[in-house]
Amino acid sequence: MPKSENRNQPGRLTGSDLPFVVGLSICGGLYVFLIVAMLTADASFTSPWHVWRALGTREIQYAIMLSLISCTITTILSLWVAVPLGYLLSRYNFAGKLIIDAIVDIPIVLPPLVIGLSLLILFQTPPGRMVEKVIPVTYAVPSVILAQFAVACAFAVRTMRVTFDQIPVRREQVALTLGCTRSQAFWWVVLPDGRRGILAAATLAWARALGEFGPILVFSGATRMKTEVLPTTVFLELSVGNLEAAVAVSLLMVLTAVAVLLLVRACGMERVA
Amino acid sequence: MKPSLRRRAHVNYYFLAFLASGVVLAGLVAVLAWNSIPWPNGTKQQPLVVYCAAGVKPPVDTAALDYEREYNVPVQLQYDNSQTLLAGIEIAKRGDLYIPADDFYVQKAREKGLIDETLDLARMAPVLVVKKGNPLGLHSLDDVTRKGAKLAHANPDAAAVGKVSRDTLRKSGKWDAFAKQIVVYKGTVSDVANDVRVGSVDGGIIWDALLHQYPDLEAVPLPELAGTTSHLAVAVLRCTKQPTEALRFARYLAARDRGLEYFAKMGYQPVDGDAWAETPELQVFAGAMLRPAIEQTIARFEEREGVRVTRVYNGCGILVSQMRAAETRPDAYFACDQSFMTQVKDWFDDPVAISTNQLVILVPKGNPHHIESLKDLGKPGLRLGVGHEKQCALGVLTQTTLVQGGQHDAVMKNVKVQSPTGDMLVNQLRAKSLDAVIAYVSNAAEGAGELEAIPIDVPCAVATQPVAVSKDTHYKHLAQRLLDALRSPDSRARFEANGFHWQALPR
Repeated sequence: MPKSENRNQPGRLTGSDLPFVVGLSICGGLYVFLIVAMLTADASFTSPWHVWRALGTREIQYAIMLSLISCTITTILSLWVAVPLGYLLSRYNFAGKLIIDAIVDIPIVLPPLVIGLSLLILFQTPPGRMVEKVIPVTYAVPSVILAQFAVACAFAVRTMRVTFDQIPVRREQVALTLGCTRSQAFWWVVLPDGRRGILAAATLAWARALGEFGPILVFSGATRMKTEVLPTTVFLELSVGNLEAAVAVSLLMVLTAVAVLLLVRACGMERVA
Repeated sequence: MKPSLRRRAHVNYYFLAFLASGVVLAGLVAVLAWNSIPWPNGTKQQPLVVYCAAGVKPPVDTAALDYEREYNVPVQLQYDNSQTLLAGIEIAKRGDLYIPADDFYVQKAREKGLIDETLDLARMAPVLVVKKGNPLGLHSLDDVTRKGAKLAHANPDAAAVGKVSRDTLRKSGKWDAFAKQIVVYKGTVSDVANDVRVGSVDGGIIWDALLHQYPDLEAVPLPELAGTTSHLAVAVLRCTKQPTEALRFARYLAARDRGLEYFAKMGYQPVDGDAWAETPELQVFAGAMLRPAIEQTIARFEEREGVRVTRVYNGCGILVSQMRAAETRPDAYFACDQSFMTQVKDWFDDPVAISTNQLVILVPKGNPHHIESLKDLGKPGLRLGVGHEKQCALGVLTQTTLVQGGQHDAVMKNVKVQSPTGDMLVNQLRAKSLDAVIAYVSNAAEGAGELEAIPIDVPCAVATQPVAVSKDTHYKHLAQRLLDALRSPDSRARFEANGFHWQALPR
């Protein structure tokens, strides 16, 4: 990657900038403080013993496994959709583009419960029932992935669209003039340029899927050892008043999410470097 | 459009990553599929799906685990407030059992045609709870308003506890004042309890049974709520594809030595449930004339409930003397006539009259002896059959009818045979060994083409068939469900097809 593109060099603090930077830090720091304060409050409500005990139960182990696997599947599926769709929306003009653009945003705008309800109803229609005959979806594991995908993918598409919008068309055009086909230019020029965007879309989709709860509750139910993902566990523990376990699982989710996000970013950065 | 993978000996990592993602995806799907097949116990048994109100979770959860262990049937529990669960059942039309937190929702589900059998479980009562130690010193509803306590309340349109307590407070005119203190409406009773526990509100109304799981809450006794209780029942969903399995788990939950033990342990007031048996056996005594009308209903009941019903059909007099002689009583008794129920009424709960049966004179088709009334039965040389005057209701009723009709002596001279059941009389008539018999109109149903029924114009010539459940059966509720089956529209059709008159009101 040419050096000229790395324009955003970390700045050095000089005296005259101090008030400005302090101002920025206060505004931004408040939010960071809020998050840290919430986590601290969580931690005060539980103990390492509770976390350890939570990790030891069969149901929670299953929920962790299902969460990790379903989120990863959702992420891959989302990228498979988001990269082509984002590219099409960014590079081509076609009739109905505005409408498609708006449709893609619907899952972001809708309350998660509504998405779950819509999926539930969808699978009660005649075509939905036919699908159910082949693969049971409603209240089964596929419904978890579908519910996560329905929401997470919209975020991935949005991210990819912005990514491709920001990649100058020029480099792609140069590749075309040098004899590349559209496809070759896409694989050799556009995707490498958009790697950070892809990474961002993937992490966003993954994180979104991990936290997804509303549609899963409606569409997948909260069945232990079957459709129980980590947010479901929190809900189930909360519903019996087991706040300590609920918080323990929440913290577990935070740790898992932070670990995965750091890992992915580290991998991404290394390649960029 | 296939991109060249190699270009100047470079590999396109993006395309490789794309292919790899496909492999990873396939792998993960395989892991899930492999995992979901043998889970949890390697059975191929279809899991039971139970929709359970949040307030009933603890005992149901524990009982479900035990049931899974004992019978290797996976039980999947879905928790939410009663209304949301009901809406889910209505839309998805799947699942096996529904346990709302109040019978209001059972009623609602029944009106919508979503459920069939219901089994009573327990009672619970709404109570106002505060944090342990009652920091605000709330001792009455007045305290709540006066001290400006912040309350959480379960959404009355969705959660049973919210609705039941609102309705009660409305009756005493205290709701409006109470509602002014509510700062938040929550989805389930557990949410309210959690809020009080975390301290985001000062109090809220929850089920008394929940105090068991919230040791750091305490109840404030309110006279306004005293005496209000909710009845918990488990209902079998009409959409279930495995009614027998569903009913078995429902019976397990409602068994006094199984599920109800947990209810009792966890602070609920359990009903007096049946004893537990995987395949319970009921013994039913029934008058012989009832057999064609009830046999199929009982067989269906056996199949659906997964139970065994031993039927003993005989003349009611014989049945009564059997009951008197033996120490054990049948679990249910279906008499041919009220008089044979009265004789044993101490051993049974209040009987329900199901049907009536008219006494008639049966003659061969074409009425060769020209019999038009009771009086004609006194014609000399006629071979007559009647019910045994002691052994069966038919005989007893025949005697009274003859006496009342003023024909007793004349007719009895012609009686060649007294049988304990009307069926036997009909057989003898069809075998031409008798010229006429006095029997029930229902006895003619089998040989309808060959027989003719002549009405008897005497007011008492009608038998009423009551059925009752034994007072000391181990399976009172199961027997009661058999009674319900006998009162169902299907059963009615079978009674009427057999010449009976329907009497019972639908349950």
